[in-house]
Amino acid sequence: MVFFLPVHYSGQISTDLDTIKIKEVVISRNKPDTEASGYKKTKIDSSTLVNYSNRNLSDMLSENTDIYIKSYGMGGTSTVAFRGTTASHTIIDWNGININSPMLGQSDLSLFPVGLVDDVNIYFGGASMLLNNGGIGGTINLETAPVWNKETVISLNSGIGSFGSYSELLKVKTGNNKFQTVTKAFLQGSENDFRYLNTQSIQSRITETRTNNQVSQRGFVQEFYYKNSENLLSARFWYQSADRNLSHPIGIPDQGEKQFDQSLRTMLNYDRVVGKSNFSLTSAWVMDRMNYFNHVDTIDSRNLSKMLTLKAGFENPIGDFTKLKIVLDEESNVINSVNYTHKTTRNTASASAIIEWNKARVGTTILIREILDRQTLLIPDFSAALQLRLINAQEYYIKANLSRNSKIPTMNDLFYGSGGNPDLKNEYSLIYEISYEMNQKISVPLRLKYNLTFFRYAIDDMIQWQPGEQIYWTAENIKKVISSGAESSLSVDYKYNHLNATIKAGYILTLAKYGESKYKNDNSEGKQLMYVPVNQANASLRMGYKSFYTSWVSSFTGTRYTATDNSAFLNGYFINNVMAGMKLPLKSSSVDINFNVENLFNINYQSIANYPLPGRYYNIKILFQFIK
Amino acid sequence: MKTLIKTALLFLLVVSCIKDPKLPNISYTMGGGVILLDEGNYRSGNGSLSFYSYDSSKIYNDLFSSANGRPLGDVPNSVLLKDTKAYIVVNNSGKIEVIDPSTFVSKATIENLKSPRNMAILSDTKAYVTSLSSDSVAIINLTSNTVSGYINMHKTSESIIVAGSKVFISNWAGGKEVMVINFANDTVVDSIQVGAEPESMVYDRNGRLWVLCNGGYARKDNAVLYEINATTNRIEEKYIFPTIDDSPTCLNIDSFGQTLYFIDKGVMRMDIGSPSLPTGPIIEQGGGQYYYKLAINPLNGDILVTDALDFAQQGYLYIYSYRGDFVSKQKAGIIPGSMCFNLTINSQTN
Repeated sequence: MVFFLPVHYSGQISTDLDTIKIKEVVISRNKPDTEASGYKKTKIDSSTLVNYSNRNLSDMLSENTDIYIKSYGMGGTSTVAFRGTTASHTIIDWNGININSPMLGQSDLSLFPVGLVDDVNIYFGGASMLLNNGGIGGTINLETAPVWNKETVISLNSGIGSFGSYSELLKVKTGNNKFQTVTKAFLQGSENDFRYLNTQSIQSRITETRTNNQVSQRGFVQEFYYKNSENLLSARFWYQSADRNLSHPIGIPDQGEKQFDQSLRTMLNYDRVVGKSNFSLTSAWVMDRMNYFNHVDTIDSRNLSKMLTLKAGFENPIGDFTKLKIVLDEESNVINSVNYTHKTTRNTASASAIIEWNKARVGTTILIREILDRQTLLIPDFSAALQLRLINAQEYYIKANLSRNSKIPTMNDLFYGSGGNPDLKNEYSLIYEISYEMNQKISVPLRLKYNLTFFRYAIDDMIQWQPGEQIYWTAENIKKVISSGAESSLSVDYKYNHLNATIKAGYILTLAKYGESKYKNDNSEGKQLMYVPVNQANASLRMGYKSFYTSWVSSFTGTRYTATDNSAFLNGYFINNVMAGMKLPLKSSSVDINFNVENLFNINYQSIANYPLPGRYYNIKILFQFIK
Repeated sequence: MKTLIKTALLFLLVVSCIKDPKLPNISYTMGGGVILLDEGNYRSGNGSLSFYSYDSSKIYNDLFSSANGRPLGDVPNSVLLKDTKAYIVVNNSGKIEVIDPSTFVSKATIENLKSPRNMAILSDTKAYVTSLSSDSVAIINLTSNTVSGYINMHKTSESIIVAGSKVFISNWAGGKEVMVINFANDTVVDSIQVGAEPESMVYDRNGRLWVLCNGGYARKDNAVLYEINATTNRIEEKYIFPTIDDSPTCLNIDSFGQTLYFIDKGVMRMDIGSPSLPTGPIIEQGGGQYYYKLAINPLNGDILVTDALDFAQQGYLYIYSYRGDFVSKQKAGIIPGSMCFNLTINSQTN
């Protein structure tokens, strides 16, 4: 049985007591990925999503997952990367549609409030190909899904915290078994005038206050869903904007930098079941505006991108054990930017065939994808995966997959006015992955989950902006990169009467090395990639007792090099966050209050050189929920 | 299981106790040598100062932070020596560090400059500083180490040369002019139309101003080297570079004011009396090298050229004799750039 966790209005923290279990719906959105065997995929649990509902995706992922986040500080741009690959090798999907900026090929995670989504699924390495092409590192799919019941739920999530931060998130959900409407609106902002250590003045250890760092964000989401026995229709609309002042790096005078981001995302989706076949049609239109202003360098950069995506899926069983899926994808981009010589368009189409074969304890998946980019057919990508269940009816698995995934260059790489290179080749990687996974009930109150994964990436023709023949830098297919490593995670759940507890621990080793260089003087060969920590670890303890709950989350990020020859580095940091709260039921509603302490030990640290992050800070959140 | 968790937590504690990096304890031989500015990466605040000592034939890196306990700043662009002071123009930190060139200790900091690039000292008390992003040249009071005024040029400024009572200032980024300033009254008296993006200038023994126009960002114009009569402000000669891909930079002249040097995918040399541009480099740039800045030893004519490699790792300083023979290769900081000789007559300089 599948049960949907009604995230957006369940209570706080890990108490699965709050979980409402409902029957599997007859039709769910046709996700081509759901059961593919042999891949690594993790889901952020619902309680974590609720806890971070008034925070951004960047905070949530950096404190709770294996993936590496680079942040320009509170309110600043934040990007994500997997396994030694780059931010542009990571795809952010919205219900299976790539919403990365086509210009940059990446997303700013600080602009995504967690409370707007119902599920976050993370697809590592080859698994990413089940959704999109180009996510060499992985894909993070932000999903929204209805809960088919007759309840009307209104929830208001208010937060207030240090540095003048505030957040309001309102959600209204209503409908019946055939129709659902969900409305969400949010407003948040912060002065972000936190104290930080000025590392550019080492001896005197001056503490200063961050200025010109204000952020103000707003957004609105509307979703409509309709279903009957054979059809599911949905329409989604997501508008948001962010006004930010960008603080300068330490040691540089304020440059009066500002950024305005505005996104409008719309999606229409139709799923139909006929007999044993599934059809799915999705169209999405996404507009992103990004204006950057720098007073000192007199930069007034205005960029507007529009992206239309059409995706069609068909799924049909062949015999008893085999399933065939066909996915057609068409994406067109239009860029209007002062940084391009003229309005620029690009068209990319792809066709994928996925065959899944599952019998007894063995499962396999084979994927082949052909991409047509700017009227050129690319070398086909593929993925092959194998999964073995070690013991009948028990969850012990060995999974392995081998993939070739290619990433077409971003619009900036190709067409940026000075330095864009229309002759760039695609980056591509061979990806090897093998993992052991278990999820087992040890005794009545105790459950153990464990995952150990080894990965290896051989990335070729990696695009880098290089000084070259011209005065300005140009994008070139320069580097080869070999990244290998391991991810291990352990989770222990304990549940007895009114007490429940979860302990999690994870460790990630990433040895990402620059490959052979064309040049004799290049000392980067064999060195660790810039801004890829070799060691990362995280640990957390979450407990709930009756209406009380508490958590302690620790995360460690190791040394990161800031020069390709590894001659300069940033120190590692170990950050702890604690939280405590309680949920009080009141007739048909509930009130949930919690208190967070971030960076408990007041550590001075930087994720990107000279962009300080805040020391200890606090926030209080009140979630009011009314159910009828 | 408990053991496993304990081990994991212990591990976390151990790896998190990484100590702050210690500043290296450097001792270097005093005497004649070259101050070299390592620009570091734009907005990364990792600019640094190196010193190549002719006495010990060694390079010493990170000297500013060793001497002052703080980094030099963001993109140190140029360095100028005047008596017992060296002026380091730190572009993106908007400041000039005034240091003792023998100890590298900062004596003063001139602040509140807008994207300063190059400096010219006009008297014991007065200097001009050009600006990449503002339309004014800053006037510096060298006694108080403050900005005492501005000359509005209505355009940005880069290279600066003093010739007699005139100061020539090039309008590099997007420009094609050399402005002429009378520094007695700080006024713009003339302007000379040249080619696209005049990047660097030198003044020769015959009173000619040489202006190297690197052709511009968009590569629509060929690069041109101009020879200008500094008395009449008239163009005497122009040398057009053969291909659109020629993007020469960093014009230098030897201490006799006789031989020009510049970088164009290699180090090029040209006599001021030459009827044409040189056809090939005297020092070739190898694969993966990126010759970035150039300086000529005023005493022995050594050619010093820096190699920025991929701009994201420690680069090199190459020293060649005036004949173009390789002498030495030294590992400098990230993006080794401008140089300034601090030589004494008594030094052993071949």
